[in-house]
Amino acid sequence: MAVTDKRYYHAIQIVPDNCTGCTSCVKVCPTEAIRVRNGKAHIDATRCVDCGECVAICRFHAILPKSDPLDIIHKFKYKVAILSSAYAGQFTEDIPYPTAKKALLELGFDEVAEEAFVTDFMISLIRDYIRQHREIRPILSSNCPAVVRLIQVKYPSLLPNLLHQEAPMSILTRFLREKYMAEKGLSDTDIGIFLIVPCVAHVTAVHQPEGAYKHLQDGAFSIGMIYGKIRERLRKMNDENPVIDTYEQGLTWALAGVEAEMVDTNDIRALSVNGMPNVLEILSKVEDHYLDQYDYIVLRSCTNGCVGGCLNVENPFVAMSRIKKLIKNASKQDIDVSELKSLYKEGEFDVVPLEPRSIMQLDQDIKQAIQKMKKLNEILVLLPGLNCSACGSPTCYALAEDIVSDKASIDDCVVLLKRHQKEED
Amino acid sequence: MAEYWNISPGLEAKAKAFLSAKPEADVNLDFEIGVKDFVNAGKGSAEVKNVLKRLGVDPVVLRRIAVASYEAEINVTAHSNGGIMHSYVYADLVYIRFEDKGPGIADIEQAMVPGWSTADELVREMGFGAGLGLPNIQKNSDLLHIESVAGGSTTLEIIIYYA
Repeated sequence: MAVTDKRYYHAIQIVPDNCTGCTSCVKVCPTEAIRVRNGKAHIDATRCVDCGECVAICRFHAILPKSDPLDIIHKFKYKVAILSSAYAGQFTEDIPYPTAKKALLELGFDEVAEEAFVTDFMISLIRDYIRQHREIRPILSSNCPAVVRLIQVKYPSLLPNLLHQEAPMSILTRFLREKYMAEKGLSDTDIGIFLIVPCVAHVTAVHQPEGAYKHLQDGAFSIGMIYGKIRERLRKMNDENPVIDTYEQGLTWALAGVEAEMVDTNDIRALSVNGMPNVLEILSKVEDHYLDQYDYIVLRSCTNGCVGGCLNVENPFVAMSRIKKLIKNASKQDIDVSELKSLYKEGEFDVVPLEPRSIMQLDQDIKQAIQKMKKLNEILVLLPGLNCSACGSPTCYALAEDIVSDKASIDDCVVLLKRHQKEED
Repeated sequence: MAEYWNISPGLEAKAKAFLSAKPEADVNLDFEIGVKDFVNAGKGSAEVKNVLKRLGVDPVVLRRIAVASYEAEINVTAHSNGGIMHSYVYADLVYIRFEDKGPGIADIEQAMVPGWSTADELVREMGFGAGLGLPNIQKNSDLLHIESVAGGSTTLEIIIYYA
């Protein structure tokens, strides 16, 4: 097992037999969590934020996403699936969304709920939170688990800016648990609630939720994993007009830009950012107080938002276009959110203040850290500056950092080695 | 030559003693700032920020340093004929000196007034020039020292202590 440090759960696993040591993953990791050592990739579990960039780039099936096996649902008396809004974008238009939703029941669930059900409520919650916290600007969205972990790891000064409320699928989980316990006389442990998710970050968030006070979900299944099974059922179903409620107008949640547009109003200015490189740049600018004119910033690590998650089957732009069509054709629905509102007022969706996961520090003692930094700069001038990653570290700077932390040696630099060989000839 | 000083109460003696001694820094970074180069201006302060994160500087102090150095860097690119940002990192403080190639600040006291700006059309189009640069630098630093020769160069120095 190539993931070190057991404190943090990760929904990513390296298959050493498949790894060629090509360093594609090393270069793409936003927190520089991956190193190739002895020809194989290793993930530093304290640095990894489960963004899935490495899963998406690996051509050798050497970095695999983990999600739960479907049969764990049978451990529960009442089995509930909560669908990420991205699910609706995965099917060709000859398959109506209600049919695609109903197919999940066929997999053995007693109930299928949609993230989309709480979208309108989420927007009002976010607006209320922004207005209640005038002293903090900008407020940063917290529904993307990769973004939350990225801030813990790389931008700890921005932790107070995160919207400290549960994400929509977890809000829905709390709501449904209360509802089924009251309506069906079930106990908390009878009810199994599972998420159907578009990305590894959501799998991780189910297994190791950040800041959760209460029992949330019991497992997570990737859209990619169940997709084949769903297609199989769809062939057999032949169901033209399935009787099932759907909430198309709330599917906006899967699209990054739309959430910001919905939150934006007279007294709230919102900005939307998606895709890892943009998220990194914007967080750095927030740190510099350069974006204080915004009240709210929606940050999603994947392209276009959750439709861009690496566990989806469809291209993020195609999925987005399909979801937009569904929303456009949706009839207006009035969803009763009074119960959700009272749960919010009772603090049911509050989260524990999020703690930093500091990875950047060279040493606990600042004097030692400065000495290491001095040594790092001395090493840096010796290195070629090509950032070729052939040593297994992402950049020359990262190699210098690894050397001062005793995790690598200057002899790992292939370019220097070649130069020395030439000099000797 | 005109001069401007602002030092946080209680730190006068300490900060001045530092400036007259200027001990050799263990880590220093130099960054060249071009004229109206809004694409690259900000990279110098981003580098300083990265170094300070590696030293484990308190997040709140880190953001003060980020704002002060970023604003000063933007000032050099927006208002001067280019210059250099010298950053010196110590175990207890960061000392940053910006030296430009002119044209000098005509009236420093006036430039310190929030909202007052000499920014030209281009700078305003870039979203800068609100007249809050120098006041923001002052607000976020423990020492601010400006020395300017009319028609000549300007030097702006800041010191921020970690604790």
